Amino acid sequence: MQHEFKFAGEMIEVTIARDSENWMLGENRAQVLADGRILVTSSDGTSKFAHSAKVGDVWWIHFDGHIFCIEKSEAGSSNNDSDEGMTAPMPGKILEVKVADGESVESGQLLLIMEAMKMEHRIVAPSDGMVSKVNFSAGDQVQQGDVLVEMVD
Amino acid sequence: MINTVLVANRGEIACRILRACTEAGLESIAIYAHNDAGSMFTELATVAIPLEGETIAETYLNQEQILAIAASHGADAIHPGFGFLSERADFAKAVIDAGINWIGPSPKAIEMMGDKMTARMTMKAAGVPVIPGEEIESEDEAAMISAIVEASHRVGYPLLLKASSGGGGKGMRKVEEPTNLEEAIKGARREAIAAFGDGRVYVERLLTGSKHVEIQVLADKHGRTIHLGERECSVQRRHQKVFEESPCPVMTSDLRSRMGQAAVMAAKAVDYVGAGTVEFLLDSSGEFFFLEMNTRIQVEHPVTEMVTGVDLVREQLRIAAGEPMSCGNLMIRGHSIEVRLYAEDASNNFLPAIGPLAIFRPPVGPGIRLDTGVREGDMVTPNYDPMLAKLIVWAPSRPEALERMRRALDEFVVLGTTTNIRFLRELCDNSDVVSGNTDTMLIDRVWPNGWKPNYSQTSLDAALMVAAVSESAGLHRVQVHESESNDGIVSPFQTLNRRYP
Repeated sequence: MQHEFKFAGEMIEVTIARDSENWMLGENRAQVLADGRILVTSSDGTSKFAHSAKVGDVWWIHFDGHIFCIEKSEAGSSNNDSDEGMTAPMPGKILEVKVADGESVESGQLLLIMEAMKMEHRIVAPSDGMVSKVNFSAGDQVQQGDVLVEMVD
Repeated sequence: MINTVLVANRGEIACRILRACTEAGLESIAIYAHNDAGSMFTELATVAIPLEGETIAETYLNQEQILAIAASHGADAIHPGFGFLSERADFAKAVIDAGINWIGPSPKAIEMMGDKMTARMTMKAAGVPVIPGEEIESEDEAAMISAIVEASHRVGYPLLLKASSGGGGKGMRKVEEPTNLEEAIKGARREAIAAFGDGRVYVERLLTGSKHVEIQVLADKHGRTIHLGERECSVQRRHQKVFEESPCPVMTSDLRSRMGQAAVMAAKAVDYVGAGTVEFLLDSSGEFFFLEMNTRIQVEHPVTEMVTGVDLVREQLRIAAGEPMSCGNLMIRGHSIEVRLYAEDASNNFLPAIGPLAIFRPPVGPGIRLDTGVREGDMVTPNYDPMLAKLIVWAPSRPEALERMRRALDEFVVLGTTTNIRFLRELCDNSDVVSGNTDTMLIDRVWPNGWKPNYSQTSLDAALMVAAVSESAGLHRVQVHESESNDGIVSPFQTLNRRYP
């Protein structure tokens, strides 16, 4: 069975095969247990338990102490990566806007300060680029997911 | 005598207090805002009464409404927990005036310690050492800026701006050099006004390389005031504690008795009653300075309970009922560590996270205690503090306590909401944490450019395989609740691909 996933911005194809109780991928074997956990056995014979839960389109995987958020891409779904905007991490209020339309910014530069859960959060540029549009001004209420600042490389 | 305790709080600490009430054979009343309906704490009380209103001000901070519920349901004591109304002298007074027992110190003690500038002055007068710094009287922004700029020349850099009404890191700013001072004052003032409705800010020297060590005190109405040893809470992010332990790794019995005496002096200076915490900074030379006194039960109180064998909340109930405290002389046994589990992204400046607790599987086994107010299936919302749980371990020695904490964190599985579990796990491996060489700058020093999870390609490959197997086998799918339309919250998963690791 072939699945298409997105992880850390990259599309990844994963093909697994099934042999009765065992799922296989290369040297690795996996078994689904009665309680929903998955026992992963690697080529050297070591086994570890994994937990998984799907929320929306995202598989949350706990393996070896780490959490991986792996998004399932449905075939034909448009994953248009118009992802260059800084989005509000949660509902809150814009306190200060530190950049203007057309301004060049460096990675890590402070773009704006917002308040959410009574704490101030600094929204910084994820990469070097130019601010194409600032969508809010100080005092505005924003909802989670609102695009605060749009940037071009 | 107390028969019925109203717990004016929510979440984890409400659970802690309600369970203590049950154990003490007391009736209890939980109060809850509509967005807390069905929360764990509402199930632990004898009765749970809904609060009217939408905002925190209309619900958990609504003194009139809480007092009305207390009166109509026959509460004869109110426990405020921490946060919310716990350090509000006007509320303590209103409770007492209504003829109800206030489980905490007198309104006057809360007032004197709650205003950080007044507390500084009271402690100076009582002979307790304070951090070099200056109180600033101005409230107007421009006058405040010029007064702080002037004081900064005497105090020196790096310095710390603190809101006089502050707490929980709110309204606090670290300033490394003069060029950043003005912006920092504005930011601290603004945050203080938003959080406390009081913009007064004062200035203290930032003592780098020092430890945050606090002393638990307990005072009853029979004239007995004691200390229960220390907790070290140096490891902090954004001025909020994440890793707390008792005893402090560098403590000596001489230093403990001197700090303990200072804490008892501080408590007596304000005629303290109940459980309280006197916070100090301890510098590398062994000198200590008063930071502040928290006039309530503290988040990290369990580590003291684990090593002293004293049930602090139970003692609070006893003391409020007018009984003498039940604990004997201080005995410290073994070592205890607490970590705070937050719904937050440690790899993105510890930004709070929200989402469903699709899987919430805490560790079990010897020496482990979990204080939490959530369980699997609950939603983590932006409405309240993002602390999910406190994981506490006890073991005979510090190295064994750390080993136990690593094991416990390895067993802890939370999926559906980003948490700091992995960060805490790696913190337990840090050489300074292992050696006990912790100070308040540790996280900034160890991860100056922020923390990132460090997983191997092998683990990622296995995780991808697990995702594929889960998909093919049609495993666990979590129903995503539609947010109620009136609170306007966009589904948390719209931004999933950028904000989650």
